[in-house]
Amino acid sequence: MKGFRTWHGLLLMGLFGLFFLFYQGLWGDPTALPTVIIAEPAPEIIAPSLYGEKQMVLSEHRGKVVVLNFWASWCQECKLEHKFLLAIQKRFEDNPNFVMYGVNYQDKDNLAKAYLDQHGNNFEHIVDLKGKISIDYGVYGVPETFVIDQEGVIRHKIIGPVLGDTFSDLVQNKIEPLLNQSAPLS
Amino acid sequence: MMIEIGHFAVVTALVLSFVGIVTPLIGLKTRDATWVVVGRRAMISMFVLITIGMAAMFYGYLTEDYSVKYIYATSNSKLPIFYKIAGLWGGHEGSLLLWAWILALYSMLATLIHWKSQPVVMPYLILIESIVLCGFLLLILFLSNPFERIFPVPADGKDLNPLLQDPAMVVHPPLLYLGYVGLSVPFSFAMAALFSGRLGEEWVKATQRWTVFAWLCLSCGILMGGYWAYYELGWGGYWGWDPVENAAFMPWLVATAFLHSTMVQEKRKMFKVWNLFLIILAFSLSLIGTFLVRSGILSSVHSFAADPGRGVFILGFVIFMLMLSFGTLMIRSAKLKSTVRMESMVSRESAFLFNNLFFLVALATVFVGTLYPLLMEVMELQKVSVGAPYYNAVFMPVALGLVFLMGVGPYIPWRKSKPENMKKLLTVPLLVALTSTILFFILGVRKPYALAGLAVVFFVLTAIVIDFNKVSTFFAKREKVNKAQGFVSAFKGNPRRITGIIIHLGVLVMVVGIIFSSMYQAEKILIMKPGEEVNIKSFRFRMANLYGVKGVNWGGQEALFDVYQDGKIITQMRPQKRFYTVSQTPTTETAIYQLRMGHLFVTIPEVAPDGTWARVRILHNPLVLWVWYGGGIMAIGAFMNIFRRDRRRSVPVADSKGVIPEVSPNVAQPTR
Repeated sequence: MKGFRTWHGLLLMGLFGLFFLFYQGLWGDPTALPTVIIAEPAPEIIAPSLYGEKQMVLSEHRGKVVVLNFWASWCQECKLEHKFLLAIQKRFEDNPNFVMYGVNYQDKDNLAKAYLDQHGNNFEHIVDLKGKISIDYGVYGVPETFVIDQEGVIRHKIIGPVLGDTFSDLVQNKIEPLLNQSAPLS
Repeated sequence: MMIEIGHFAVVTALVLSFVGIVTPLIGLKTRDATWVVVGRRAMISMFVLITIGMAAMFYGYLTEDYSVKYIYATSNSKLPIFYKIAGLWGGHEGSLLLWAWILALYSMLATLIHWKSQPVVMPYLILIESIVLCGFLLLILFLSNPFERIFPVPADGKDLNPLLQDPAMVVHPPLLYLGYVGLSVPFSFAMAALFSGRLGEEWVKATQRWTVFAWLCLSCGILMGGYWAYYELGWGGYWGWDPVENAAFMPWLVATAFLHSTMVQEKRKMFKVWNLFLIILAFSLSLIGTFLVRSGILSSVHSFAADPGRGVFILGFVIFMLMLSFGTLMIRSAKLKSTVRMESMVSRESAFLFNNLFFLVALATVFVGTLYPLLMEVMELQKVSVGAPYYNAVFMPVALGLVFLMGVGPYIPWRKSKPENMKKLLTVPLLVALTSTILFFILGVRKPYALAGLAVVFFVLTAIVIDFNKVSTFFAKREKVNKAQGFVSAFKGNPRRITGIIIHLGVLVMVVGIIFSSMYQAEKILIMKPGEEVNIKSFRFRMANLYGVKGVNWGGQEALFDVYQDGKIITQMRPQKRFYTVSQTPTTETAIYQLRMGHLFVTIPEVAPDGTWARVRILHNPLVLWVWYGGGIMAIGAFMNIFRRDRRRSVPVADSKGVIPEVSPNVAQPTR
């Protein structure tokens, strides 16, 4: 074509790329976008315990390494990771600077309790009543696991089940260094 | 009944928009102006008809006709009348109707105002505006009809989103649309220039005021939105780099670049293709912005219900408009070789070039930041959201560069500047900038960005003061009056330039506000019970009480804070946590105390169910008011620019030293 220049080509490419992107974007779900909150102060949590005994207030655990695990009884992958979670608790439960909470996500009280009865339980669980905690933490699926440091800053986020390599990585490279105060940020 | 009349009127407007498309085409083909006259009548009728549609909706709101689905969704009998009217743009359907109405208004006004002076442009103007209007009317009537009824008729409305029940929100959308849509006038003129091949400076000159007006509305709309986010959303900041904010900011950036670069075309007949490209880009971005907001493909505080069908239609329309405009530009631009070359890199032309470059880089950073999450999602990579750290790192240096240019661009001569002139021009401002940096460092400003920002602000300020002094002295001498009167004469001699500089001053004020309110903000978030105290900077906050309150259509809790400074109580603040009963929505009402042009800002985002404690967020935003003062000064400058009287052209005068203060750049350049 006469008079065709480089910028014409670039402009057309840019335009078509944009159109493609927009068209594809129409079929996605933007609300599923999480917020990037690694290295951010962990949003405060004030939530009732699953067994209704007392309230959990996250900021009261300042000075401890807090592991939050979001789970639900309807979640298949949660069942896979459950024994590893029990193992984490077992391994660190004697350390006064460690605490782990399960966050029960979009679940029914009795189903959640039945799940724990069936799969065993050795740590505390709280209930995310209105999905507020999950929204604050940008959780868009279960399981997801967060590690919060002594200063109350979110240091790690693991999407998907904690098992195999993920498990050893979490224990050896994430939780332990934090407890020993020598941790890099993921 | 009224609703049906309004509905019918808008349907008729749609039919007329086809008339508006067809008649100018026939007119151009047959060279018969009567066809264009028919097009003009269609244009006027469309405005009248859409106005009837709007009136019908208002009537529905005021008579509380909840059989209309949209009114049911956005209003309630308990609402104050002010918000009943604003309910029209409280949702998707009504916003589009407002969009179409403003577009029809602009189209009609542009047709009537330029009918005599720009006869050649008219058929194209009517054609382009009709196409855009047609697209929007199709969208309104077939995919988002505000006139739709529901049965059974609900007893009362669902209420307007409480976040929108706010004075700033009543004017924010119309202003923003006035800006977005206002760009369609220069866009249509540019398209007319491309189609007709009359690619001189005429279209630029004819549309300058339209562009400034659209720019003014867009600026005010953006600022208003920022103010709303500041105290209604309880962000504590006025700018969150939210995708929808960005969608309004991007056309603003390009419109600003366009306003600057057209000056080069007017004075030096350069940048012809570039200006066409810019205005097409600006209007395209406002269409893309509409698409991004309305299709719901990005998550943001402005989330509207996502509807792929609607999204596909708007996208199709955007593709059509972009291909039409950019395609024409590509085909026609072969004709447009700039006849004038840049003579030196040290000239005002090149300053403008840098200005444009910086604006486009700024645009690119915002564009990438806005669309990056979408790209990642489409590529099925990890989902991300881009936040303030990215923008601070990438956007801020560009913004600083732009501010710096304000101190150089307006003061170096066209064509070519001698090195010794440059030295003369820059020495004093640079020295002042350096001194101020040292001074601020001693005063305790230690953050590099803050220091750099203040240095640049003082550099530009000095350049402006020197220039004002120079022109005032020049006119004072010539007319043998004092300096103040000399300044007035200078203003009369070249209002366009002086109003431009006033806008620059506004930018400086705003930059200072942004620097202090963002970099020296202090924040505390904590849980407090009545009787507890907290210190922030030199202030002490004591929560005196926490109690229930009730309004017309909401209930909630209020906290009472006593604020002390140096042991003395300075004020009491009452933030609220409200719950709107009809729509079941909670909101946080901010308490703001103004103090030395800064704000103390308190919100209670969460209150214990038993009312014993509240989560409290306290902020001190120093000099935050300067952000809006700066915006106000910019608006005044833009207003004066629109209504300036400089149709009479003065004669250029050179003073004896050979330095010509910029008295009137409107003087015709010698023809080349």
